[in-house]
Amino acid sequence: MRASPTLRHFVGPLELIHAQAGPRLLRLTRLGIFALWIVKLLLDPLWRLAELPRELFQPIGILALLPAGALDALLTPGGLAALLILTLAVLVLGLTDRAFAPVSTLAAILLTAYSCLIRGFGPAVHTDIVLLLAVYALAGFAWADGLALRFGKKSVGGGSSYPLVTIVAMLCLSYCLVGLNRTIAGGLSVFTGDTMEVWAIDASLRGYYFNTNVGWHVPEWPWVVLMLRSGLPFITLFEITAPLCVASPHYRWVFIPVMLSFHLLSLVFMNIFFFDDMFLYLLLIDWSRHFPLLRAKAGQVHPP
Amino acid sequence: MITDPPRRPGWGPRGPALRVSLLGLAVAFCLALIVWLVSFAVPLRVAGQAYLLLVVVLAFRYWPPMIRLVASMPVPHRVVFGVLIGAMILGHYTLNARSYFPYVAWEIFPFVREDDPVTAREFIATTESGRKVRLLVEQLFPSIVQFNPPLDGDGNPLPAMGPLVQSLARVYNEHHADDPVREVDLMIMAVQLHPPAGESRAQPSCELLQHYDILSGPSS
Repeated sequence: MRASPTLRHFVGPLELIHAQAGPRLLRLTRLGIFALWIVKLLLDPLWRLAELPRELFQPIGILALLPAGALDALLTPGGLAALLILTLAVLVLGLTDRAFAPVSTLAAILLTAYSCLIRGFGPAVHTDIVLLLAVYALAGFAWADGLALRFGKKSVGGGSSYPLVTIVAMLCLSYCLVGLNRTIAGGLSVFTGDTMEVWAIDASLRGYYFNTNVGWHVPEWPWVVLMLRSGLPFITLFEITAPLCVASPHYRWVFIPVMLSFHLLSLVFMNIFFFDDMFLYLLLIDWSRHFPLLRAKAGQVHPP
Repeated sequence: MITDPPRRPGWGPRGPALRVSLLGLAVAFCLALIVWLVSFAVPLRVAGQAYLLLVVVLAFRYWPPMIRLVASMPVPHRVVFGVLIGAMILGHYTLNARSYFPYVAWEIFPFVREDDPVTAREFIATTESGRKVRLLVEQLFPSIVQFNPPLDGDGNPLPAMGPLVQSLARVYNEHHADDPVREVDLMIMAVQLHPPAGESRAQPSCELLQHYDILSGPSS
């Protein structure tokens, strides 16, 4: 049976996001990502971590490669303040767009050290990982531009779209992996029974930085229980299908409000908020299709 | 002569495309069968996810705009693109959240939880004026997104708990010099998921696990 035109209209066109992106959009993205990191670091009294007992610190990632002496020096108020100031200085330098490849690489290394450091006192939570990977993408493609130009290319056609597509792909892939893991590892039982209520109460009792103090009331409200239980498979479906955002404008207009609502409800009932991802959602809008100013010139776009 | 009106091209596959689709479905079924068979040797958690991810990756691998994007990339750009996406996928399959950070296993609510009551350890402090305040590690040390208090397998405090409580009180007092914390109780908070009939769930139940005097150190 043939699908109706209505269904075709519903599915809509399949177009690669940011295919027409120009240098201005890439520049704005660089500014946005670096500015977001600067704000995060300015709000973080990192030096306070020196007050915590050293035996609670379990180094992760690249920090596990450092000798104990270097870690001891880092975990002093002076060491932590120096890391914070140095990282901020490099990020501010990155805003100027001068020598972007080496500056962004240094920023990526420092931000990796910072991210490992703040996770050394607890679990390796997923918040701001994609934002860190976005810095990797900006640095990696800046080096690739330089290499391509050095070895014969006169210009890198579509060069502005590559990092943007990659960042969107990484954001979507992170959701997809979360959804696949939950479905395969947890099985159907995750979506039935009391699992979501237990997670909500557990997260609510823990506190976190945002502390709405609402989640542990959840079992008292049958409609919230129903929403959480029915919401988990619904959201998991959106997580698994997140890579469609790379291809389908119609899907993105459904995905963005659904996932924004999900993240806001996670804040209310579980005190968990991935606000970095909320800013990265701005990249799920294909700005260059709507604003000619952000579009690449004819010769700079990769073949449609 | 009566002729059929020309048929408009439809939305779904037909002709050779239909045969390719059916072949694709058959291949997918065979691959799923292989995944099920190898799951005796490789955990289904790995094999099943790998299979589903392969489906997603292949869908993009053969999508013309993605082919054109990758084909238009100079070699260094292709390498960067491949390394960034590949490392994320490999990191996920290490099933390890710490060693290869930021290439981690992506796990959020990945398993069933049926604990009832749900419990948590909390630091409830008493200030000089007798006021009770909840000390949250994540608020006193905003760098830390999530913190697990040092407990042994039975949920009892490890030796590091004493210095931790002193640190919490010290940082709190730095910002509340007018009414500093003088003692801290480590409490077990419990919320019953299914309380017995007639029992209220108005507040979580609290049970003292350990008392710490901030001036003289921990005492049992």
